[in-house]
Formats: sequence, C-alpha cells, structure tokens
Amino acid sequence: MQNKYTYISLLALILLSSFTLIQNSEVTPNFTLETSQIEFEAGSPIELKFSTLRKAVPLLYCSSSYGSTLIIPTYKRKILIYKIPYSISSKIGVVNWKLIYEDSLVSGKLQIRPKKEVSSMETYIGPPSIEAGGTDYTMLVVIPTDSLDNPFPENTLVLAKHQFLNSEKNEEIFTKNLISYKNIYSQKESGRILVSSESLGTNSKEFSVTVFPAIPIDFKISAKRPHGYADGNQITTFSTSIIVDKHNNIVSDATYVTFFITNEKGNVLKTSGATINGIATSKMIHPDYETQWSVKAYVDGIAESELIILKYKQVIKDFEVVFSENNRDITVGTLQSFMKQIIPDGLQVNLLIYKNNTLFKTETKTSFEGLVNFNLKPDIYKNDNYTIVVKTAGLEKTFNSRTLW
Amino acid sequence: MVNLNKNIIRSILIASYILIIVIIISGISSLFAYLNTGADRSSMLHTKLEKIEQYIPEVTWAPLNNEGRPMDELILKKIENDYLDAWYVKLVAYKKNTTLGIKDYYTDNARENIFAFIELNIKENVTVESTTLNHHPTLEFFSEDGQLAVITDKDVIEYKRVFKDGKLVLETKEKSTYKIIFLLEDGFWRIRHFVKERSESFKSEPNLRVAKHLNIKGINYYPQATPWDMFGAAFLKSTISNDFKIIKDSGLNSIRIFVQYDDFGKADIDKEKLEKLRLTLDAAEENGLKVVVTLFDFYGDYSVLNWTLNMHHAKTIISGLKDHKAIIAWDIKNEPNLDFDSRGKVNVISWLDNMIDLVKSIDPNHAVTIGWSNVQSASILNDKVDFVSFHYYENIEILDLAVENLKKEVGEKPIVLQEFGMSSYNGIWNPFGSSEKDQANYHKKAQEIIAANNLQFMSWTLYDFEIVPKKVVGSLPWRKNAQKRFGFIGVNGAKKAAFKFISH
Repeated sequence: MQNKYTYISLLALILLSSFTLIQNSEVTPNFTLETSQIEFEAGSPIELKFSTLRKAVPLLYCSSSYGSTLIIPTYKRKILIYKIPYSISSKIGVVNWKLIYEDSLVSGKLQIRPKKEVSSMETYIGPPSIEAGGTDYTMLVVIPTDSLDNPFPENTLVLAKHQFLNSEKNEEIFTKNLISYKNIYSQKESGRILVSSESLGTNSKEFSVTVFPAIPIDFKISAKRPHGYADGNQITTFSTSIIVDKHNNIVSDATYVTFFITNEKGNVLKTSGATINGIATSKMIHPDYETQWSVKAYVDGIAESELIILKYKQVIKDFEVVFSENNRDITVGTLQSFMKQIIPDGLQVNLLIYKNNTLFKTETKTSFEGLVNFNLKPDIYKNDNYTIVVKTAGLEKTFNSRTLW
Repeated sequence: MVNLNKNIIRSILIASYILIIVIIISGISSLFAYLNTGADRSSMLHTKLEKIEQYIPEVTWAPLNNEGRPMDELILKKIENDYLDAWYVKLVAYKKNTTLGIKDYYTDNARENIFAFIELNIKENVTVESTTLNHHPTLEFFSEDGQLAVITDKDVIEYKRVFKDGKLVLETKEKSTYKIIFLLEDGFWRIRHFVKERSESFKSEPNLRVAKHLNIKGINYYPQATPWDMFGAAFLKSTISNDFKIIKDSGLNSIRIFVQYDDFGKADIDKEKLEKLRLTLDAAEENGLKVVVTLFDFYGDYSVLNWTLNMHHAKTIISGLKDHKAIIAWDIKNEPNLDFDSRGKVNVISWLDNMIDLVKSIDPNHAVTIGWSNVQSASILNDKVDFVSFHYYENIEILDLAVENLKKEVGEKPIVLQEFGMSSYNGIWNPFGSSEKDQANYHKKAQEIIAANNLQFMSWTLYDFEIVPKKVVGSLPWRKNAQKRFGFIGVNGAKKAAFKFISH
C-alpha cells in the first residue's frame, strides 16, 4: 500500500513536471528583449539586445522621424545585438521597431530625447521693421536646438531679451510645438530694438529691428528768396518745417514732399523734394511778371502743410521799342530791372504780328544785354500794313498799322 | 483638219498651263497654311500650367485656431501642397534611394537627415515602398511675418513595404503623429524640423456588414451595341432601360456593371461619365433592379505610390452614388487574382485590403465584395468582404464540389456565383464548340446546382456581341469569337434556347 502511494505520487510528480516543462517551452517566446532602457539621448549609441534560443538572425525593422530601415544583428552567445544606426539615434522622436521573424509579434518603441545642452538658438525675427507708437510689433521665434539639430521638447525655458533706448527687458517664454515666440511691441520713439535670446545657458547672437517713425502729421512750410521781384532769374527755395509723426519722431529720411504752386491765373507749378532730418527743400525760379503764388506742400495722401502766399513785384516799369530798316528791324530795350540795372540775360520777349486783325505770326526771343532784336524778313512779311504787339514781363505795347516796305 | 488639231493642242496647252498654275498656287497656299499652324498664340507663353496629380492622400484640416498671425486659405492651401509634395518626394526617394526633388521641399539641414537615410539604405540595400493614406493636420502656429509655420499632423496612416536585397521583408501599416516646422524659402514651404511624436501599428477593423438579406438573382450587363464601352458617346438611357425591362421580366432582380478606371478619368473623375453611371442606376431603379457596381475595371497597376490616386477615384465615385437606392453592393475589382503573376500576389491583396477599408469608410451601408475569377481564390480576404463572389467557367459538373469546399472555407458568408456562362460559338475557329442547345443545357444544370446549394448568382451575359475589344480577351480570333456568343439573346435580338434557364 505504502509502495503504491509512493509510486502514484512519483508518477504524478513526473507527469506534473513534464506538463510544466511543456508549458514552459510553449510560453517562452522566440526572442526576448533584454534591453530595458526605452529613453535615449540623441546621438548616444543604442543597442537592442534579444536573447534567443534559436539560431535565426532576424532583421529588425526600425522607423524614425525621417525614415525606415532594416538592421542586421550580430549574434553572440544566444544574444542578438542590433545596433541602431546613427541616422536614427541622432534624431529625436519616437522610433518604432519590429523584429521580423515569421509571425513574431516582438515590437516596441524607443523615445529619443534631445541632448541636454542647447547648441544653437535658431532665431527668426520678423517683420524686420515696425512702426513707432506702441501698436505695431515684431515677432521673435526661437527654436533652441541641440548640436544634432534637434529641437527641444515642450516647456523648455527661453529668455527673450530686448533693449530699446533706456529699457532692457528679459522675459521668460516656454517652448510649445517645438518653438517659442514673443511679440515685441514698439514704443513711442523710433529707433532700433536689439533682440537676443537665451536657453539653458546658451545665448543667441544679436538681432536688430528698426522702429520707423509713424506716418507724418501736418507741417509748415516757408520760402526763402533773394528779393521779392519777378525777375525770372532768381530762385525761391521752399522748405518744410521738421516733419514729425504724432509721437514727435522725425519722419524717415527721403519722405517725399511735393510743393504745389498756384499763381494768380490759376496755373499750377509743381516741385518736390525728399526729407533729410525731417526737412524737405525744393526750388523754383522766379516768375518774370508780377504775380502772387499760393504754395502748399503734401506728403502724398498722408499729410499736408499750411498755405503760404508769396508776392512778386514787377521789375520792368516800361521799355522802348525802336523801328528801323523800313520798320523791318525792331529793337526792344534797353530792358531795365528794379535798380535800373540791365536785366540779366534771358528775359523772354514776344512779338505778335497781326494782319487785318488776325494773328499772323509770333516771334519769341530772349534778351541779351538788355536788348532784343527782331528782324522781319521780306520773304515772310510781305510789304503791307501790320499791327505789331510787343509783350514782355507782363507788359504789352501795341503799334497799329506799321507799314513794312 | 490641221486647224482643228492646232486648236486642240492649243486648248490642251492652255488647260495644262492653268492646271499647273492651280497646283502650284494650292501648293504654296497649303505651305503658307502649314507655316501658320503650330504654336497657338495662347500656348506660346506657357501661361496655362497643367498640374498632374500624383499623390492625393486624404487631408482633413482641423479648424483654424492657431497662435500667431491669422492664416488665410490661400497660404494654407500652398502649405498643404508643399507639404504633400514633401511627402511625395520623400516616398519616391526611399523607394528608389535617390535624392531627386528633396532639396526643393526640405531645408539645408533637414535634407541632410534624408540623405543620411538614403545612404544607409543604399549601403544595406534596403528600399521602402510606402504611401500615406490619411492626414489630419492642425495648424499650430504661423509667424507674424508669414515665414514660419508649425503643424501637427495627427494620425497619419502610413503603409510601408520594406525590401531587403529586392525581397519583400515586411509589410506594415502605421498610425503616426508628426510635428513639422516649415520655413518659407524661395517660394516653397520647406520642412525644417520633422519629429515623429507618436506611432503605433495600425490595423483596420474588418467592419463587416450584414449581407444576409441579399438575394441576388442577376446578370452581368453590357449593352449589345457597345459592350465594354457602356458609358461612351453612344450611351442612351432608353436602350439601357429597355434591356433592364427584359432582365426584370425574365425574373431576375439585379445586374452587375463595370466602371473602368481609365475610362472614368483615373484620379480626376470625368463628370460626364459619372452622370451616365447615375442615369444607369436611375434606369435600374425605375425597372426595379438592384446594381452591383464593379470598380477599377481594367486597372492593373497596384503600385503603392498610386494608391492615393486610386483611392481618390473610388472616393469620388462612391461618395457621389452611395445614397442611390439602386446600389446593392460594391465589387472592388473584377478578377484581381489574374494579376497575381504579373503584379505580385502581395501587391494585389494589400491593395484590395486597403481599398475595402476605404470603400467601407465612405459608404457605411452597402456590402462589399471582390469578383474572384476562380473558386480557389474566393476565400482570399474572406474576413474583409461582406459576401464572397467568384466566377466559374470550368466544368459545370464539378461546380457542386467546388461550392461545397468553398463553403467550408468561408463559413456563413453568402456566396455569389458572380459570373458563369457558356459560349454557343462553333464556327470556323472552333468547329467542335458548343451549340445553343449545349448552352441551354449548361444553364439548366447551373440553375439546378444554384438552387440546390442556395447560391446567389449573376450569369454572363444578356447579349451576344458583334464586337469584343482587344483589351477583354486579347486578339486571338478563337477567343474573341467565343466571347461574342455568351449571351442569352442573340445578335439578331432573338432569345436563345438558354433564355428559358436565365433564372430558377
């Protein structure tokens, strides 16, 4: 009886152990991952080790941010070693892998983190110029990257630093969606904002943003001239006051100003200039007859000046006309200016010749040493009676029924 | 007499002179006319840009709610275009291990990563054929100066086939999420950083539909005058409607029609053809018939890079017609197993698998099947199709056995004998071919087997045809002529003996 029980229990033991053996061999997967680390720093060598009882050397499929590849293992004492290639281990992100062996389900993921040090501050700033006044702003975008060109994860601290005139600011921003950004607003003054950033002890280089003055506000103009006479020779210089924006910043150089001059007849003359240090100047030659100029300047579509009035006095009170050579030679002058001096060369004199009360011909000449000489050629002016009108400096003299012969 | 002769000679001379002049002038004028043809003024400046779609994965943008500058539609569209192009050049690069086009879509630093990968894969002789099927981008950030954008592309479905030394090693579908920084450079939105944030393998659900209600007693249909060109210039709804009436009156309840991939405009669906297809469905509905629409007829390129184009094609057709009451089922492709040898079994099956997923995702209501050309292939993708279809042109006597075996493999699923028939051709190319009587006997027997096995069926075909295009059975006359005589109704319009056994 005793023997029988021993026998049975022995049998049972053998049976049981054989069962467990069978179960063991069923449960044991073909390949077991021996590497427990799943997070790696970019650039560090990564090896995946599998223990196996099999002789097979399956390929490992491996896929990272930029691409996928297959890895051949080395086999050493029942351990398969897969060396993850540098092009995968150097880039951050999820790496998913899969052992390719029949229908093997051994697969997994690795997480590659950036290196601990920031190596470069990838900085983008724009727009590069903004308007003064506190409403316009530029945006600083910083992507801190490690030496392997990997951006840093969420919530990495970045200091956005900017200086303008007397203010220096140091603001904390955090990366989100791989980038960090900060809007930098202008102040009332124009000038230049210097910007830089810092993360984990690494500083960016210096960037600058120009703050341009805002648009000009209305301004004043003045005129400067050697004398008030309409001598058709001297030059009047117009200049603006210092043109500023509403925050009193002098507008940018080369702001274009146009002066509109309207005379008594309603004719418009135009001259223009660009600002330097807020002042634009422009010139216009004096009229050659008595008139009054109304001058107004514009920065086109943006600002305008007040109107100023300039009067030009008559310089030539009277002039002589001498007919000779059968009335065919007409000499006008001597033309004398305001101090009785001979008028400077170049004053325009018009000769209008009427025949039977209709305009037959106009001759125009400019003065030389105070004189103008017209010669009416017989080929054109046949012998006849003509009415001759001489016009200069706004004056007019008429000679009726002069006979040319 | 002499005078007369002279006059004749004169007139001949004058006439020939005139003739020569006419010929010369017409020659010169046609030369002028020729020189005036050629460059069309409107085309001289290449102002019209022809864009050929090469890659159209489905892109679904999340509503705009980005930080930074407000985005406008035009820029977003441009970013999307460049982003998809960036994917496309990358897919091509890894398929062929070339760097062509990469520099247009990746910045100096980013492209180095791809170049390094290509170098590695060249060294290891690894190539990756892949495509992406879905993108769900969210615009996260757009910089104030409009030069930098960040998007998160969620749940990108990537299908990959990895080859080592030219041999397929792995086929995988993954669902990944990427964060991408773009920079606007030289007018391109180039990728600056590309980070995979999440990834998991993706397995689509079989998503089976109940197909128990199906009771298909049908016929494959082409119009008699325009077989294999049903939606061409000669399309006439009245002809089709008359035919449908004949089919309905014969006791059948459904038809199977074919949408040819090239004919319907490939990825860029021809609206006119789609309208004709709709009219056909209308005609079927009016006559109380249900329709099995077979897609991708005569399509034979299963390459992974073309998947998105195929999907776009299917999507346009199905989303346009899925609510039509006449539709009963979608047949993904006619006899795809015939392409196993030339295109590779894996290619074809994975293409079908993917296409089933797509069709089911667009049309949640209709059953999906594949029209296998023989009973041996019929159980492929059995877990994905809603009912099993196969074609049978072999010995009718052993159909019983074949069906019995198939039933064991596919279980409860309804089985449709989707094409069967016999040609009544016995002319010069096959003097010992079957007669119309043989054909009638064949159909009689077939219907008996169908009834006995509780099969559903669609016979081939209503009409005898006068013409069979080369693409159908090739140009060998004994095949062509046999193919012309499969109908229940003869060329002259008279019902053949087999018509009696068109249904049971």
